[in-house]
Amino acid sequence: MTNDIPGGAAVAERTPTTTTTGHRGRRPLLRAIGPTALVALMVMLGFVLQASPLLTLEEVLALVVFATATNILLGSAGLVSFGQAVFYGIGAYTVALGWLHWHLSFWVTFFAAPFVGALVAVPVGLVALRARRLYFALSTLAFSELAYQLAESRYSFTQGANGVFGPFVPTSLTNPVTGYLFVLAVTVASLLLMWKITHSPFGLVLRAIRENRERMQALGVNVYRHQLVAFVVSGFFCSLAGAMFVIYSQSAYPELLDWTMSGAPVFMAVIGGMGVFLGPAVGAFIYQFGHDELVRYVDDWQLVLGAVLLLIVMFWPDGLLGAYMRARRGRPRNADETADRSADDE
Amino acid sequence: MSDPTAGVLLRAQGLIRDFGGFRAVDGVDLEVRSGTIHSIIGPNGAGKTTLFRLLTGILRPTAGTLELDGRSIGGKPPHVIARLGLAQAFQTTNIFPRLSVLESVSAALVSRHRRTGDMATWFHRRLEIEAREMLETVGLSDAADLESQTLSHGDQRALEVALALAMNPRLLLLDEPTAGMSPFETRRMVELVHGLARDNGLTVILSEHDMETVFGISDRVTVMHQGQVLADGPAAQVRANDDVMAIYLGGHA
Repeated sequence: MTNDIPGGAAVAERTPTTTTTGHRGRRPLLRAIGPTALVALMVMLGFVLQASPLLTLEEVLALVVFATATNILLGSAGLVSFGQAVFYGIGAYTVALGWLHWHLSFWVTFFAAPFVGALVAVPVGLVALRARRLYFALSTLAFSELAYQLAESRYSFTQGANGVFGPFVPTSLTNPVTGYLFVLAVTVASLLLMWKITHSPFGLVLRAIRENRERMQALGVNVYRHQLVAFVVSGFFCSLAGAMFVIYSQSAYPELLDWTMSGAPVFMAVIGGMGVFLGPAVGAFIYQFGHDELVRYVDDWQLVLGAVLLLIVMFWPDGLLGAYMRARRGRPRNADETADRSADDE
Repeated sequence: MSDPTAGVLLRAQGLIRDFGGFRAVDGVDLEVRSGTIHSIIGPNGAGKTTLFRLLTGILRPTAGTLELDGRSIGGKPPHVIARLGLAQAFQTTNIFPRLSVLESVSAALVSRHRRTGDMATWFHRRLEIEAREMLETVGLSDAADLESQTLSHGDQRALEVALALAMNPRLLLLDEPTAGMSPFETRRMVELVHGLARDNGLTVILSEHDMETVFGISDRVTVMHQGQVLADGPAAQVRANDDVMAIYLGGHA
């Protein structure tokens, strides 16, 4: 949605755009209709679908939160992290190990999980953010591998490669319908919070840093500190997503911390579109359902994933939702619609 | 105060910056008085841009002192110096390519109001009126909703100035503000800078290639050559300086 304005058109559009009020021109109530309807539909599904698809949806919703949280870094801050599984895994392990070692209630560990993730994100971010671009990506990757190795090798604490299994999820949540509705509620609440954060003064500053960090520094902003805050916020929601995943899996295991798991939300964001708030969520649905279908027919589903990613990167670099939004905007414009182009990242 | 240094907003003493074995800035003394337009000129490689980068904190001085309004700023990081009231518009266009013009200025205003950590409000949208005023000052009212990278070169430079102004600075650094501009755009920029100094009492440090612009607009001029100050004084006096004519202006003709 960014590079689509040829110079001539920009000049031609000057007059109409100035008479509108930009992003303020869009009526908030009107914009809320789509998401509200979507949530209503998702709630209805809880009463219509069988147990098995509901469980699948629980997993997908955890991934929706995981991918959206990762996209705070990718999309808003322009930081490519291949280490978010560290926090996803920590969320899952907080619930599982809290039960295993200290017999903590699920409700305590579930809501503590995001805070544990945020706490760990502070030192990880402090180190990783010393590096830039590729080296930032590589150091986050290294943290992911480190976390995986730790979880696998410290058998006495984590039960190693076996992972932690047990009846730590309350029966009210192992019930597919109530479990699904709970996960859905947490998803909606998290997305609303993350939407607000990305549409706040802080979110604007993050995007400005992404566009030009030196300029933002010259404007009095401590770039390192703001990126660290973004990293911690992302870690918070990634860990919450990991705790949500436990409701589906009723277990925690080292692969949740692995760098392949770290890659997943990045791929989801690329598939759906990093520049659109719901892009990664759409990507999570496509990725997970695509995966579930593919593994039935082909052995090397990663091969297909690779091909799909290539196609998207080549032909729809804004992702599928991004391309769709752009196509919708590409229709003949009237004066009101041109103002939408400069609106926030939706 | 009868202190002869009263009214000096920025002072550099014995400023040195080395790159490896090369001394780009070599013992520069500089005094910039409040409310003046002070130009720094010199041929390519004279050390102007390095000097600017020292003033803004992008580079740390190898030696020497730097004071803004009596407070030492030498070696302080850029964001701290910016907060102390020194804002800069860059030589190479340095904007936020994919933010709209209004968003860009809003981001700068969010920083000035110290609300960059605010995750819960719509404060950045409440700044819209203030942001539009800034855009009006620099003549970009019509471009508020355009993506910054689609602006013409001259408009991008004007946006640069708006970003710097959004910090409500006491001292504004303009590094070759008219570089690559058409004569019309240059005149617009000169009028803008003049207006800022006259109407807003802003102190301006200017680096500039175009001699007409420099002597037309400046109260004082400092001439740099090979990292050192060759001449310094009121514009008319510097213009009449034989050394300057020979080494700098002569080489230009």
